[in-house]
Order: sequence, then structure tokens, then C-alpha cells
Amino acid sequence: MEAIETEITAPVPEAPVGDQPVAPLGRAIVITSGKGGVGKTTTTANVGAALAALGKRVVLVDADVGLRNLDIVLGLEARVKYHVLDVIENKAELDDALVRDKNVDSLYLLAAAQTREKEDVSTEAMIGLIEQLRARFEFVLIDCPAGIETGFRNAIAGAGHAIVVCTPEVSAVRDADRVVGLLPHDWKPELVVNRLRPALVRKGKMLSVEDVDAILRLPLLGVIPDEPGIIIATNKGRPIALDEHSPVGAAYRQIASRLAGNDVPPPTVKVAEPGFFSKFGSLFGGR
Amino acid sequence: MAGRRIVITSGKGGVGKTTTTANLGAALAKRGYKVVLVDTDIGLRNLDLVLGVEKRIVFDLVEVVEGRCQVRQALIRDKRFTSLHLLPAAQTRDKTAVSEAQMDALIGELAEEADFVLIDCPAGIEHGFRNAVAGAREGIVVTTPEVSAIRDADRVVGKLKERGLPHTLIVNRIRPEMVASGEMMTVDDVRDVLRTEILGIIPDDEEVIDTTNRGEPLVLDPNQRLAPIYLKIARRLEGEKIPLTRLESQTFLTKLFSIWKAG
Amino acid sequence: MLRGTKSGLEFVFAADAGDAVLSDLTARLSERPDFYRGSRATAIFQGAPLESDAFAGFLDTVRAHGIDLHGVYGAAELGPFAERHALAYLGEPPRPVVTSLGQRRPRKVVAALTERARSLEADFAGAREDIARRRARGETSVAKPDFAKAAAIRAGAASAGPTVAPPVLTVTPGTPATLYHRGTLRGGQILQQIGNIVVVGDVNPGAELVASGDILVFGALRGTAHAGAQGDTAARVAALELAPTQLRIATCIAADDVKHKAREPEVAFIRDERIAIAPYAKAGLR
Repeated sequence: MEAIETEITAPVPEAPVGDQPVAPLGRAIVITSGKGGVGKTTTTANVGAALAALGKRVVLVDADVGLRNLDIVLGLEARVKYHVLDVIENKAELDDALVRDKNVDSLYLLAAAQTREKEDVSTEAMIGLIEQLRARFEFVLIDCPAGIETGFRNAIAGAGHAIVVCTPEVSAVRDADRVVGLLPHDWKPELVVNRLRPALVRKGKMLSVEDVDAILRLPLLGVIPDEPGIIIATNKGRPIALDEHSPVGAAYRQIASRLAGNDVPPPTVKVAEPGFFSKFGSLFGGR
Repeated sequence: MAGRRIVITSGKGGVGKTTTTANLGAALAKRGYKVVLVDTDIGLRNLDLVLGVEKRIVFDLVEVVEGRCQVRQALIRDKRFTSLHLLPAAQTRDKTAVSEAQMDALIGELAEEADFVLIDCPAGIEHGFRNAVAGAREGIVVTTPEVSAIRDADRVVGKLKERGLPHTLIVNRIRPEMVASGEMMTVDDVRDVLRTEILGIIPDDEEVIDTTNRGEPLVLDPNQRLAPIYLKIARRLEGEKIPLTRLESQTFLTKLFSIWKAG
Repeated sequence: MLRGTKSGLEFVFAADAGDAVLSDLTARLSERPDFYRGSRATAIFQGAPLESDAFAGFLDTVRAHGIDLHGVYGAAELGPFAERHALAYLGEPPRPVVTSLGQRRPRKVVAALTERARSLEADFAGAREDIARRRARGETSVAKPDFAKAAAIRAGAASAGPTVAPPVLTVTPGTPATLYHRGTLRGGQILQQIGNIVVVGDVNPGAELVASGDILVFGALRGTAHAGAQGDTAARVAALELAPTQLRIATCIAADDVKHKAREPEVAFIRDERIAIAPYAKAGLR
């Protein structure tokens, strides 16, 4: 069984000044889907937490103005003092708005504004903000709102990569396909299939990963099984990626490991075998 | 008298607006009413898929609004219920293609000939939401018993109140066993936060995904657990006073039995 | 008269042609400004040559359209005329061999229908009656693509900043060319063309292809395709995997209610006022 290493990292370093060597800019990844409710926010929080647990400096940005949820999932809603719009409108410093996670030290959150509208943010402002964040963090994960309207366009502004989250349902696949068609060509988005239930796939009552792939044709970043534990984790504000005993957590940790550049075996899902969950650990190798 | 114009909304995506619109519409049609379902999620249309009519779309809502066809030509009649029609959204356009005024006029026109016009609202509170609400005179807010969904539903309830729209609540995907063990919020918890009259409580059911994938609203199949629940909700919508069944405070056996009666 | 042959264009001037012919030809060239670019051409005088200045002006116009008019056919007296205009004298006019531009060879349908073709049923209450009525009036039932508006949208999108790309629209009004698209079309994207469309890649559900001519998909066609969108009932739709959400040719619409796994490339066409499908190997695009 693989031990999960957590380091206590130093506080977020200042942006480099003067003639110091400039660190490479972090990766800005937007997590999107088109359809709502497929697990974008949960994926953002968990992949972020898992990356931070690997020692990376990570910031999560909630781009769902007016319907913010990332802070809840992380259990940080009480600690939010300022949000994205405050920073953009120069009412607060970025440092004051960044909320440090209570579970993992190198994970930070930039919350959305709850009482404002998505039209209040401009694309240019978002690009500027993401650039600032990339200078300080190795990973900038942007939680995209549902839909393809202003909120979506702002969320992808400033990003350079995308993770498309999709559940094995026809409507989710249709919406994900629409979104892929709207992303810049050179981004090469990757796919996370969420809430897979192999038992239902076997019974023919749910799409398989292959069915989803037949339409979306994206490189597969990970497959997350469905588990009631995730609702509990959300309600408790502790990302399931930090739970060593959960197969769902293991799946997220694998995704993070892959993003961090580690050589991880590609995700596969064996549907034919009974007792799927008992075999989960060996399949994913990460328990 | 003109029909009722009801928007089905939620704020949070994925809580079951489209599934509810389809099944509630089918339930009302089954009870003999003339029903028109309107998909306002321009660019991300799904109601046609859930009803299984995606191959029969010839004209869509945007073409009607732009005057390129008549409403009559765009309406797709359901194969199973002759009194159920769908006005599909456009897929290759976006939500700025129609204005709130146009939506209001369109829904008004539909309401002249139908008993119920159910408007399926997109996720969020942006342009698409405003378009969907513009044509409505009542709202049904759908939520799941989860913190994030309730927060978003709360925002939406606020917006409906701003516009003076009377509204009720459907709590979807309840898992009675999790509520009993304290792992999920109770309906009372939800009601406390949202302070809205409840139209119905729908338990979670793994058959739902399959029925939406196949394009067959589950109300059609009397063997489906949730079919009688949607029918009960339809009757409440008509005005019948049917009390809600308490799901949470029961023993396991009576719980099983009551799921059949729930609503 | 303007003719196309295997070896290039021919400007044919009849024996009694006056200068008016030149303005006609010029107008015709301007209708399709780039269509002939790069072509080689000859002039054929069946009688006396035209007045020099007028012809010189015509030569300039022809060259401006990128046409290489290099020689002249006619009676022997035309030698000096050719020399004056720096053209080669090619001899007596050749006999015309091919059909003139703009005419299509009529298609012959010689294919056995598949089982699936027989089961195709269009069930569009309301729309169907309307289509029949419109056809009787000579109209197309589906609105012609609004190319002017599409061009405006495209022009507007080009000037927008780093924002999301709008649905793909390609417009070439007036020129019946073939649009070639490499890559998969995603849901919500649309290609419109006066002419034919060839897609090398898949067309996903929710994507649309609208062409006045034929549609070929070198991949899986799962979206909606409308060939012969301006009324050409001879247009065809072919795909390596023909599994469209909906198929339209001219004013006929069809959708397959039975889930069918296409095992070979197929082509759809109109036969007996309905859409029929046959294996491509047998029917082809002829």
C-alpha cells in the first residue's frame, strides 16, 4: 500500500523581483463540462487537494460568480474575507483574498463573489488575475460554471489547459462535446469520467467509458467510481482525496499524480468482473 | 382561459430539472391535459433527448422567434401522448439569440392553446435563466438535499421573489437510508433554509439515468418506482391537496413500503 | 460564349459577334471572380476578329481574373491579329467536344436497397403536411441558410478578443465550390456551403452540415446532414458510418427509429420521393 506523503511546505513565496532567476509560470487548467452537476467542483477540489498533498503549490479559483460552491466543498466558507471581484476591482490585495486550506498547507482558495453577477467580470480582468496567480503557484485550477455563457467564457480566459468532466449519460456527453468544440484547438483537453457504476454498465443501464469515448475522443485522464461517501465528504468539507481508504480518493490521487508528471499506468476499468470495488485497489495501484 | 406558465428551475445544474420537466409533463398529459414543454437551454439542449424525440426536430425555438417558421411547425408531438408537445431549443446558436420580451410573447402564444406550459430552465442565473423566467408566471424550484444545491436554490428563490413569481419546491434524489443515519439532510432541514412550500419529494433511483438515456420518461412505465410519485406531484399541481409522506422517521420495513407512496 | 474543355477554357466568338459580346463575357467572369483563376484559355473566332482596342481591353480583364489566354484559333487571316495582341496563332478552330459549363450529367440510380432503407419512416406531424404544401408551391421547406448573416457573424467573431470561438460557419456565396474540413465536428457546430461538403473526421450528434450539393463524411456521420438544401433532389449524402440523427435531402426528411449499426459505408439519396439508403460499394455517388 502506497503511503501518501504530505509535507509542511513554506508559506507562499513572493513573486520574484529584481535579477533573481524567474521561476516558470504555473499551469492554468480550467475544469469544465457544459452540463451542470457532473462533478466539476468536486473534481477541482479533490484534484487540487491531491496535488497539494504531493507537495505542489496549488490555488483553486471559483469562477462561478453568484453561485459559488468551491468554498463549501473545502469547508472554508467561514474563512472567506474577500473574493475574486474584490481583487479585480482593487478593493483587496490578492494575499488577503487567498484562503489557505485547513487540511493541506500548500493549497489555497480564491472564492467567487456570491452577491454579484457573471457579467461583472471581464475577460481581460480574468486573464490578468490568472497570470498573477501563475507567477505564484505551480497549478492554478479554475472551477468553471455550468453552461456556455459569459461565466464559461470568463473561466476559460487565461487558462491554457482544460479537463473535461463527464458522467456516463447521453445528455452529459452531448454537453461535453459542445464544450470541447468551443475550446481553443491547441489546448488538447483531457477527460475525466465521473460517477461510473460498473454494475449498471454491465446491466446495460449506464454508458460505458468506451461509449463516452466513442463521441468525445479525448485522452482519458481518470475514471472516478460513484460512491455515497462523496456526498458525506462534501457535506463535511473534507475532500475525499485525502481519505486513504476510499477508492474514489485513490482515483483522484492518481489523476493528480498524472498531472504532476509522474508515470502512472493509464486508467482502465474492468467491467466484467463482480466485486468490482474489492478489486479496485489492485487495478488502480494507488491504495 | 389561458394555460398555466410554469418555469422549472434550480440554479445548480444536474439536480433534475430536465428529468422533472419531462416526467411532470408526461404525467399531466397522461391525466388528460394539453401540455407543451419548452426547452430554453439554447446551445445545450437536452429535453429532446430525454423525451426521445431528438431525431424528429425540424424547427426550433430560435427559428420560431426569428419568424422563419410558425410555432405549429416547430412543435413536436410525442408519440406516446397526443396531448404532449415539445418546442425544442436550438443547438447551433447561443442564448443571446432570443430576448426576454420575445420569450414572454412566445410562451404567451403557447399558453393560448395549452393547459400547461412547462419551461425547462438552463443551469445558472445568467441570460438563459432570465429568458426562461421571462415567460413564466409561476416557478417550481428543484433541489437535492445537498449544501451546494440548496445554496443555489436559495439564490434562485430570491430571484423569483424579486419578480413576484409564486413558487414551490421539489426535493429530488432523497436517500431515506442516508437521511435516517444522519448522513443526508432531512426535508425539514431543506424547508427551513428555503422557506418554500414543498410540491414533492422524490427519492433517488438508479433507473432514472437509464430512462433518460433511452429517451423514455419513466412515468410511462407503471413498474417504475417513481411513476406514481410524479403522478401525485401532477395532481398536487392541479390543486389537489395530498399530504406529503414522511420518509425519514420510519423503520426500515415501513420505509420500503412508504417509498411507493412517497411524493 | 464561354466553354470549358479538358485543356482549358475557350472564348468562342461567333461570326457575327459584336463588341457587346465582350461586355457579356466580362460580366459573366465577374459573377465568379476567382473561379477560373489559374486556368489556361484560348479564343476561337468563327468569323472576323473583333475590333482591336475592345479586344485589348478584354484581354486585360481576362488576365486580371488570373486566366492565361495564350492563343487564338480562327481563319488564317487571324495570324497578324494574334501577333498584334502577343498571342499565339493556333490554326483552324477545333471541333467542340465536351458539354458546356454548368450542366450536370443526369444521375442513374442502379442500386438494390438495403433492409434499412425499406424501414425508413419519416414521422413529422405538421412538418410533413407543410413540406408537401410548400413543394406543391415550388418552395423549399427548410429556410435557406442566411449567408449574409453568417458572414457578418464570422466577420464580427474575427475581431473579438481571446474569447470562445462561435459555431463554425463557412460561407462562400456565389461560388459553387467544395468545402473540405479536416477534423471532427462537435455538437453545436455547423458548416454551411453553397456547393458540396467533405468532412474528414466524425460529425457528432448536435452538429449540422448544410450544403446545396452533396455531403461526404469520411468518418461517422452522427449529427444532422442536409444535402441539396436549395432544392437539388439529385444530391447525395455518403459516410463511412451513416448513423445520422436526421437526414435531409432537398425537401425530404428522414430519421431511423430503429438503432442500426452500419457495417459498411452507405449513401443516401432520393428515390420515389423518399430518402433511400444503399451500400456505397454498390451505388456510389453516381
